[in-house]
Amino acid sequence: MARMKFYCDAERCIECNGCVTACKNENDVPWGVNRRRVVTIKDGEAGERSLSVACMHCSDAPCAAVCPVNCFYTTDDGLVLHDKDICIGCGYCFYACPFGAPQFPEDGAFASRGKMDKCTFCAGGPEEDNSAEERRKYGSNRLAEGKLPLCAEMCATKALLAGDASVISDIYRKRVVNRGASVLDWGVSYENASLRSSKGVQGKATMEE
Amino acid sequence: MLINHRRVLQFPALLFLILIAFPVFAENAPSSYKPVTVPNPATDLWRAVNPQQLPPAEAAMFPGGDSQVQGVQSGVLINQLGQRWRHFRMGQLLPTGSYLLAGAMLAILLFYLIRGKVLIRDGESDKKIERYSIYERLIHWFMAIVFLFLGFSGLILLFGRSLLLPWMGPELFSALASAAKEGHNLFGPLFLLALVLVFLKFVIRNIYQKGDLTWLLKGGGIIGKQDVPSNFFNMGEKTLFWLLIIVGGLIAISGVVLLFPVFGQGRDIMELSHVVHGIAAVVMLSVIIGHIYIGTIGMQGATEGMTSGYCDLNWAKDHHSWWAQRCIDEGKVMPKQQGAAVHHDNPAPAEAEK
Ligand code: HEM
Ligand code: SF4
Ligand code: SF4
Repeated sequence: MARMKFYCDAERCIECNGCVTACKNENDVPWGVNRRRVVTIKDGEAGERSLSVACMHCSDAPCAAVCPVNCFYTTDDGLVLHDKDICIGCGYCFYACPFGAPQFPEDGAFASRGKMDKCTFCAGGPEEDNSAEERRKYGSNRLAEGKLPLCAEMCATKALLAGDASVISDIYRKRVVNRGASVLDWGVSYENASLRSSKGVQGKATMEE
Repeated sequence: MLINHRRVLQFPALLFLILIAFPVFAENAPSSYKPVTVPNPATDLWRAVNPQQLPPAEAAMFPGGDSQVQGVQSGVLINQLGQRWRHFRMGQLLPTGSYLLAGAMLAILLFYLIRGKVLIRDGESDKKIERYSIYERLIHWFMAIVFLFLGFSGLILLFGRSLLLPWMGPELFSALASAAKEGHNLFGPLFLLALVLVFLKFVIRNIYQKGDLTWLLKGGGIIGKQDVPSNFFNMGEKTLFWLLIIVGGLIAISGVVLLFPVFGQGRDIMELSHVVHGIAAVVMLSVIIGHIYIGTIGMQGATEGMTSGYCDLNWAKDHHSWWAQRCIDEGKVMPKQQGAAVHHDNPAPAEAEK
């Protein structure tokens, strides 16, 4: 069974925010809510990198663990979705999520929280696929139409990848291997840098290909 | 940061042990590993993505990122504190909280079975003293109702998923939890108001004074049978008051931080507020269970003061003898009038008058 994943290639993302715009448009996201955002590290300095982030559809999802009404469910594709009819807008999922994915439309006085909204991997919610109800509450359900999330489909540099985890990791692995030079920084290639793991690098060095 | 420090310390300690145990390894190690001279720039990127995993001194060098999406902490890619908060709520607050509340109730039950109801030593008298004015009773019951409502609605949020959801079903429980949340948010600020009013009205009588320590050492005259004098409020009541002010104050302040996400507070502050709110609420609820018991079924004559405003003279002599003596000296003792004090022991008011 497929397990859907996002991956953002920090070597390719150019911080164009196309994914953010695509998501907002595709899902008619309420004002003030951003299901996806691009974060730039070391903005304007040497080694600047950008990453696009939304819900990562965790396997052991912290949001689902803390939800007081247990409104999250994991689909067969490994997507973490939630039921807005059950959600009470308490904000606990937002405290627990590592990626700041859950969002809250301001609802009523004193900026009180409305029902939580987050990335659905363009897979809608518990309602019938592509029903008007589902569209109103969760935005589009592209997965039911056999399409992948629009953010990744729109990405101009193909930095943002979405799809079956094994396919995504294959694509990324090939990129890493084939990118000869200047993959990590000017003048440093994987070939030189990864023969021995240097201090602070986690993971294994690969000698493949 | 606790975990990280531990991890940072563990590694050298382990290495040290290995080096001591195998001197051969220690000599061979440097020659078999050549350090890489090319620094890997990706490490800086991933450090900045997750600065909370670094020791504090280094974390300051990686202040997180920037994002076009405006919002509190929108530049933080990975918020590791969330995982700690999750473990606090699910692994600590939930089990410990339930043990504490259940323990408090069990302790009260045991106390009742062993000690029994605290009776007025010489029985009820036919005289009474005014104990609480209308205003004092009003703010007491205002606080009591608001506190209990907040307590129950909060407990629904905390324990509902494990206790109520399984048999109520998601739709019904969601409606209940939603009402609990909205009610909790609405009545929350009223608790702060009640706390201020109660503080202003009762603080002078609750300042600790000579004799309070003796009261404590003698178990308040409840454990054992000695006569322990005290003033308007005894040591136990004063302690309840200060617990309420301090722990209740923490509940109120942390609650307001959680309630209004408009002060620019980030997730770290909110997680901390929730930790304070959760612990303080569970502690205060356990204390209040004891208070409610001793104010109602646990002690003869205790409820009257807060309901009718008058207490029995003999009750006052038992539990607040200095205050009772002062009232006697000042001539504030009055006979119980018809209707003002109808007791179960007295079959008819007409008879009680005699
Ligand atoms: C100034 C007063 C208070 C305010 C502003 C306040 C606010 C809050 C807020 C905002 C929450 C998070 C859930 C939600 O959005 O509804 C919460 C949870 C909670 N509150 Fe309060 N509260 C107050 C007083 C109290 C009192 C007096 C108690 C207990 C006697 C209490 C017990 C709880 C409990 C048990 C939770 C649930 C914690 C959890 O689910 O992990 N609160 N409160
Ligand atoms: S909302 Fe956050 S915690 Fe929940 S699955 Fe998505 S990334 Fe994970
Ligand atoms: S805001 Fe909704 S989804 Fe998130 S924890 Fe609360 S009830 Fe669950």
